[in-house]
Amino acid sequence: MKKMLTAAVSRVLSGVTQKPASRVLVASCKYSNNATFEIKKCDLYRLEEGPPVTTVLTREDGLKYYKMMQTIRRMELKADQLYKQKFIRGFCHLCDGQEACCVGLEAGINPTDHVITSYRAHGLCYTRGLTVRSILSELTGRRGGCAKGKGGSMHMYAKNFYGGNGIVGAQGPLGAGIALACKYKGNNEVCLTLYGDGAANQGQISEAYNMAALWNLPCIFICENNRYGMGTSVERAAASTDYYKRGNFIPGLRVDGMDILCVREATKFAADYCRSGKGPMLMELLTYRYHGHSMSDPGISYRTREEIQSVRSKSDPIMLLKDKMVNNKLASVEELKEIDAEVRKEIDDAAQFAMTDPEPPLEELGHHIYSSNPPFDIRGANQWIKFQSIS
Amino acid sequence: MAAVAASAGWLLRLRAAGADGPWRRLCGAGLPRGFLQSASAYGAAAQRRQVAHFTFQPDPEPVEYGQTQKMNLFQAVTSALDNSLAKDPTAVIFGEDVAFGGVFRCTVGLRDKYGKDRVFNTPLCEQGIVGFGIGIAVTGATAIAEIQFADYIFPAFDQIVNEAAKYRYRSGDLFNCGSLTIRSPWGCVGHGALYHSQSPEAFFAHCPGIKVVVPRSPFQAKGLLLSCIEDKNPCIFFEPKILYRAAVEQVPVEPYNIPLSQAEVIREGSDVTLVAWGTQVHVIREVAAMAQEKLGVSCEVIDLRTILPWDVDTVCKSVIKTGRLLVSHEAPLTGGFASEISSTVQMKGLKHKEV
Repeated sequence: MKKMLTAAVSRVLSGVTQKPASRVLVASCKYSNNATFEIKKCDLYRLEEGPPVTTVLTREDGLKYYKMMQTIRRMELKADQLYKQKFIRGFCHLCDGQEACCVGLEAGINPTDHVITSYRAHGLCYTRGLTVRSILSELTGRRGGCAKGKGGSMHMYAKNFYGGNGIVGAQGPLGAGIALACKYKGNNEVCLTLYGDGAANQGQISEAYNMAALWNLPCIFICENNRYGMGTSVERAAASTDYYKRGNFIPGLRVDGMDILCVREATKFAADYCRSGKGPMLMELLTYRYHGHSMSDPGISYRTREEIQSVRSKSDPIMLLKDKMVNNKLASVEELKEIDAEVRKEIDDAAQFAMTDPEPPLEELGHHIYSSNPPFDIRGANQWIKFQSIS
Repeated sequence: MAAVAASAGWLLRLRAAGADGPWRRLCGAGLPRGFLQSASAYGAAAQRRQVAHFTFQPDPEPVEYGQTQKMNLFQAVTSALDNSLAKDPTAVIFGEDVAFGGVFRCTVGLRDKYGKDRVFNTPLCEQGIVGFGIGIAVTGATAIAEIQFADYIFPAFDQIVNEAAKYRYRSGDLFNCGSLTIRSPWGCVGHGALYHSQSPEAFFAHCPGIKVVVPRSPFQAKGLLLSCIEDKNPCIFFEPKILYRAAVEQVPVEPYNIPLSQAEVIREGSDVTLVAWGTQVHVIREVAAMAQEKLGVSCEVIDLRTILPWDVDTVCKSVIKTGRLLVSHEAPLTGGFASEISSTVQMKGLKHKEV
């Protein structure tokens, strides 16, 4: 018995645990409190040194990140399901596959920092503090939604999270403006301005780069490069696909966006850089989305199923984190499975709420157009329909 | 019924109190007040979807242009583009995602037929697309640019208004970008929300130097698009996206032109003039039929077709005959094109007011 136990323990300590540990083993081994990982070196542009190549992940953080990523994944899949059941209408852009970006970015900044992004925003909504319930019911257009059911998929907002923007690239100058406010107020906050590989070709992004660099704004431009701008691959859209160099006079980093630790370290590095007053920084996150551009896009007419499968099996962010944690004894497979079950339940509850919550009343249609006292009348589709506009 | 009447418009009385039989009937004497009201009047309990209903009404098969084929709106657009590229060796089509056929399938097959030098994708940059198109047009080549949704045309607004529209004027007719045509899906579609439903024709109506055209059907679309492409002025052609699949008609295979700046009276009437463009024409047609049947009101229906420069004479002539005007459009009310039509008609109509 003792011999068996010793053998088992030594096997565990040598870090070779491919099969799920048996109950006996779980009971006998302790979790490590933290583990050190080597992470990929980032490509640098106009920078002497980059983020560190090793990082420490604590068990607590690991579990937190895992839960967050799993929640986002499940939430997006639930949104897919609700869309197909026609509870969600309109346009729905899902970010499954890009969880490491959202969670990693959040891990690298403070809740008082600011974030603005494009329409593929559900993951960031969650990491910025919105509940799954409020996100799903916003998708289904109900009262319980974070934008009172009037915004929908692309227009969700939270404290220090400015959406959720439908027009591609339009959030670039907005982000630079938020960074200007941070600098002006002197509160040591930064603004993460996210956009995609398609938006990188928009004129306004270049305008934002120039202003941010000219005035040394604490703005981190983040290009989420998921290789396809809707259906157009990056090679067919951009003269230079080195998006981290596209800031020209802005230093840049290219980061593995499927490794949450890589993203976290790079974000911390960039945030420190900006906070020290050196000006903006550009980060390119190499990531991937499993779904098509939106729910109306099957996602396979411009890429092969094999490619999607290959990314899923080799670089899935949740799988990568799970392997890291299990292999380094930060958590057991059972524990993570329990987290999965908890997450599933939370999402199911939220979806149930989202399907049964009533829609906002028709009287609210005209609200919040202007900020004004007293309330005024807005004409509806014909002169006998009037809505009161209150703000 | 309520949904049908739920279209943006307003009634304008030109005649002094007098021969108002039908008008009285319309006003509601004898009709329940709720006849023309929407469901909102019945309280929030009725959570009905407040979306305008319409039934596409195809025009009779045209006989004067040769053999016809059944086409929907996007196929008619493809046919027009096909004819243009065949006839004009300098014509090029470009925009976001046009190479594989476009997000609404308006350019399907053209790249294979005419080559990747003539049908090509641009990166995601509306301002760049239009500016680039102006450049092509200035050299004399025919540029057919696509803006993926009319909602995205605003980054290009400066290029259209300040560059394209004023090129001929500021160069004293030395240069022009008349061979530029910008095509864009337009109008509400039911699930488009803020950024896939806009109807920005009123913004461009405020800009002399360009032409703005909105077809109501596949037959109209092909003829008007071909006219826009051949017109020696920069044109914006808005295609009602909800009609892309819903509108099916017999459309001539050969090229043909429908003149710009000519409105079409598609139903003769004597009591009230109804003016609309794009999808609303079908709503208005249905309203006219219902008004005749239920109220005995004879409506004259006019499809404006070209928003800028618009056919003032046809509309005014009609209003002088009927004495009443209703304009229906999808865009916001304030500053919408209906205000331009109504004020012009009122100004011209005053001369004809019976004393």
